[in-house]
Amino acid sequence: MNISLNENLAKKKRRFFKVDTQQKPLYTDLKSSKSSCVLELKDVTKSFGGLVAVGSASLAFSKGKITGLIGPNGAGKTTVFNLITGFLKPDSGIICFNGYTINGRPPWQIAQLGIGRLFQDVRVFDKLTALENVLLAKKEQPGENPLVSLLRRKSALDAEEKNMDEAKKWLKFVELEEKEDSLAENLSYGQQKLLAIARLLAGGFEVLLLDEPTAGINPQMVKSVLDVIRRLAQEGKTVVVIEHNMSVIMEISDWVYFMDEGKVVTFGLPKEILGDPEVRKAYLGI
Amino acid sequence: MICIYLILSLSLNLLVGYTGLLSLCHAAFYGIGAYASTLLITKFGLNFFLALPAGVGITMILSLLVAYPSLRLKGDYFILTAFGFQIIVFSVLYNWVGLTRGPYGIPGIPKPSLLGFEFDSLPLFLLLSAVFALLVFFVLYRISASPFGRVLKAIREDELVASALGKNVANFKIWAFMIAGGIAAIAGSLYAGYVTYIDPTSFTLDESIFILAIILVGGSGNIRGPIVGTIFMIILPEALRFLGIPDTIAPNVRQMIYGALLVFLMFFRAQGIAGEYKFE
Repeated sequence: MNISLNENLAKKKRRFFKVDTQQKPLYTDLKSSKSSCVLELKDVTKSFGGLVAVGSASLAFSKGKITGLIGPNGAGKTTVFNLITGFLKPDSGIICFNGYTINGRPPWQIAQLGIGRLFQDVRVFDKLTALENVLLAKKEQPGENPLVSLLRRKSALDAEEKNMDEAKKWLKFVELEEKEDSLAENLSYGQQKLLAIARLLAGGFEVLLLDEPTAGINPQMVKSVLDVIRRLAQEGKTVVVIEHNMSVIMEISDWVYFMDEGKVVTFGLPKEILGDPEVRKAYLGI
Repeated sequence: MICIYLILSLSLNLLVGYTGLLSLCHAAFYGIGAYASTLLITKFGLNFFLALPAGVGITMILSLLVAYPSLRLKGDYFILTAFGFQIIVFSVLYNWVGLTRGPYGIPGIPKPSLLGFEFDSLPLFLLLSAVFALLVFFVLYRISASPFGRVLKAIREDELVASALGKNVANFKIWAFMIAGGIAAIAGSLYAGYVTYIDPTSFTLDESIFILAIILVGGSGNIRGPIVGTIFMIILPEALRFLGIPDTIAPNVRQMIYGALLVFLMFFRAQGIAGEYKFE
């Protein structure tokens, strides 16, 4: 049953992307890592006028691993996320997800394929309740078709009930269960951040791109968030974290990329990277 | 007329209050619906109850003309596009004399009738339009309280995040336009059947602004706002008659009172009397 479902999905993807199915996924050896590469950027460049935001960058992210993306402000880290999620189109290069090229695809298609993103600035839906925010993450809800909603098909009502239970579970997970009926705008910044994390988790994404997930939340909650991130990786998710807090990077990352001026300067184990004199000079100023 | 404006404001609320599209062309949809059903009745002899859904269908298709640009344009640019669509529709209705009789309008539109029963008196027409208004309320209530309505609100709040969650924003906006346009066409068909005469001056930019004012006064983003706004804006002029203002200046004074009320509301309750969403 699972095999046929996977085959159907693969067929759907092949039709959708019109890619050569014989084409092998691009793969960059992640040193000693034996886990497979889920997401890869190969020689990706993005310029804004004369400014090269990302210049011929190649990065690969593995299943079940947490990869840190560090670098000074303006290094191009968030631009990499924007390129992966389709908010920006690369000028050149290839972005590959599970063997399929996703260059230039709109963000909603990329999200539906399984790449989710936590934004640097929280970006919750202010006028929606916490529960509604989380409910929105669920993909392919039957009730999102207005005709199905109008007719109140049983399938839609059942799905909504199931989604509601699941959304409540995620709110409880981030300890916001008592705030489910509060408008997101009435939550504190830290709570909004947790809500955004709950929303991302509810989406069931295969790849999670987290842009400063711990910024603005209290130390106790930072610990919980890091636990969640670790658990997600253990469950086989591919996690990429942009973080300025070096202790967080040291604590959770399996691999770290260091970027500066749009280029990948170096890549390695967290200890290696933070011990690199070039990194220390460029990033830490020591 | 209160039921007709209720239908118009409820449908515009789907675009303005739920999807965050400040549409200034609702009278164009209203006019297309009125002309489409009227022409089907007068030229092809269709019954009102057949011409109405046909008019709705035609308007839904034509609403795509403004839905598509809305996918790429935001904020002020979208407002100007909708404004342009309104002007184009008015110009077509005014100048395509062979089809619409232009400024002469179309007189003698038959009153709606069903199985030989004619809705020819005011109470009967009120009943008919109230039934349609209730039907529209029911449809919009169900839609807006559903996951579909939730996505529209998310698009209004942050279109980019909605797409990052896998929502095909373009599709949802097209749906919103088609539904809002189609429902405005119901109001247009009812209006034609009510006054039995239509001309392009009933579907001008002024009318679009008036429908938008209903939403702004009553409030948007929920189903209550348009109802409150319609009652307020339609009943208010009647209530002002009791002020004893001389007939010669009454219309102008009423306009001034309207304007002053709008300014007052924008200052002290920008989300409208019963609204939950405030335009930034």
